[in-house]
Amino acid sequence: MQTKPTALKILDVVSLILLGISTYLALFFAPTEAVMGDVQRVFYFHIGTAWVGLLGFVIAAVAGIVYLITKDMRWDRFEVAAVEVSTVFFFITIVLGSIWARPAWNTWWTWDPRLTTAAITELIYIAYFMLRQGIEDPEKRARFGAVYTLLGGLSAPLTFMVIRLFRTIHPVVIGNASAAAEGGFSMTPDMRTAFFFALFAFTVIFVDMIWHRLRLGALEEKVEQLKLNTSL
Amino acid sequence: MFLETIPDTSGYMIAGYAISFITMGIYAASLYIRHNNLKRDLEILEALEEKTKKK
Amino acid sequence: MKAPSPSFFKAMMAIVRKDLAAEFRSRELLSAMLVFSLLVIIIFNFALELDVKVRESVTAGVLWTTFAFAGTLGLNRSMAVEKDRGCMDGLLLAPVDRSAIYFGKAISNLAFMLVVEAIVLPVYSMLYNTNLFQPGLLLVILLGSIGYIAVGTLLAAMSVQTRTRDVMLPILLFPIAIPVLLAAVKASSGFLNGAEFSEILAPLNLLVVYDLIFIAIPLMFFEYVVEE
Repeated sequence: MQTKPTALKILDVVSLILLGISTYLALFFAPTEAVMGDVQRVFYFHIGTAWVGLLGFVIAAVAGIVYLITKDMRWDRFEVAAVEVSTVFFFITIVLGSIWARPAWNTWWTWDPRLTTAAITELIYIAYFMLRQGIEDPEKRARFGAVYTLLGGLSAPLTFMVIRLFRTIHPVVIGNASAAAEGGFSMTPDMRTAFFFALFAFTVIFVDMIWHRLRLGALEEKVEQLKLNTSL
Repeated sequence: MFLETIPDTSGYMIAGYAISFITMGIYAASLYIRHNNLKRDLEILEALEEKTKKK
Repeated sequence: MKAPSPSFFKAMMAIVRKDLAAEFRSRELLSAMLVFSLLVIIIFNFALELDVKVRESVTAGVLWTTFAFAGTLGLNRSMAVEKDRGCMDGLLLAPVDRSAIYFGKAISNLAFMLVVEAIVLPVYSMLYNTNLFQPGLLLVILLGSIGYIAVGTLLAAMSVQTRTRDVMLPILLFPIAIPVLLAAVKASSGFLNGAEFSEILAPLNLLVVYDLIFIAIPLMFFEYVVEE
């Protein structure tokens, strides 16, 4: 296998530095929020990971369609990379949301549309990996994966809409921070700096991780091919 | 509604950041381990192929 | 997409006829789905202590959970049979539009599910002394079943080709079908509890939207799922 390209090495270092700066901005630079206190600081990583998570799922659905049209395995590898990295980031999003909810809403979990949709979306992509694991033929695996990411991408917004209907008659038990429950608190300029920097930093980290996953995918394919050749 | 003092929720914050870093760390490690394992597999398979060719 | 030719309908109806005739002879699918549904209802009865008060709020949920479980059972079986007897390969060799095969399978699956529902509804009405035969509820059941079967037929065609096919279908189908199931529950309970029509309209709209999307998508992509 070829050695790590220099560009990737640079991107690794840049990602780590950006993660460090983003952590500094979130933990020390941004002022403490007055109603919720320090826990509000998880918000920066929460939004950062949520953004790249959703971005990855959209990218995966698009890559799936392109694969079905071109039948080029590189698009399948791209789709897998996007889904896998997004699943990891989305897991962080959900855990951070839950940690935030505990002091803010006085509960670890509420069946609020956003939380529920996030959890179901995560389940869809776990099912995606189970589906792929059950198929031997790489080409068929790619086809099924592409169709499933497409179905998942279409069903997630509908899930959000349908759960909103339930919420109108089952109001969420909200603690004393109703403004926070709506997802809004007024951001000071320093908070905004930390917020946009986190978005930027996580986008770069996301690209870096996808790149690594793509290389892994290429290697996987090579090994799989060799195994087929030697067994024949 | 508005509290006089800011509530101390730093414990949750620390837990949140710890989980974020641990999860990303585990994923990076898994990428690294899988990559190494595959590299080893590849070497073994290539050696095997060489052998069969010689015969 | 080209306009469907007469042979499209002929092929589609041939598949439906074949499935219905086979089922009429063996009755293995319907009887399994029916017995299963009744068992689920019995379990719910004790698990939820379905007394008069509770029933009002959970009837819609119990019904749809039952339909969803019975539905997966039927979908899995009807596709597995095609795969095992090699019918699918035969169908694929025939010069037939792939979407005709999809529609044929979906229609016969829908027919099985509707038959099961048509038996479960009166039994449930009798057991719990509630009248479930309201036109609104029947419409919701039809719309919900269409959406569930439309996406379920595509996913079942995928899941029977995996190594873990016995467990794969519900795992693939349930997270994708959550919008249609929940919208159906919401609309059903609205009709059962005599809610304002304006309140029921939103879930009904969602049901229709879901049905349209998840008929169109399998129609376009079914060929990628069955080709060898």
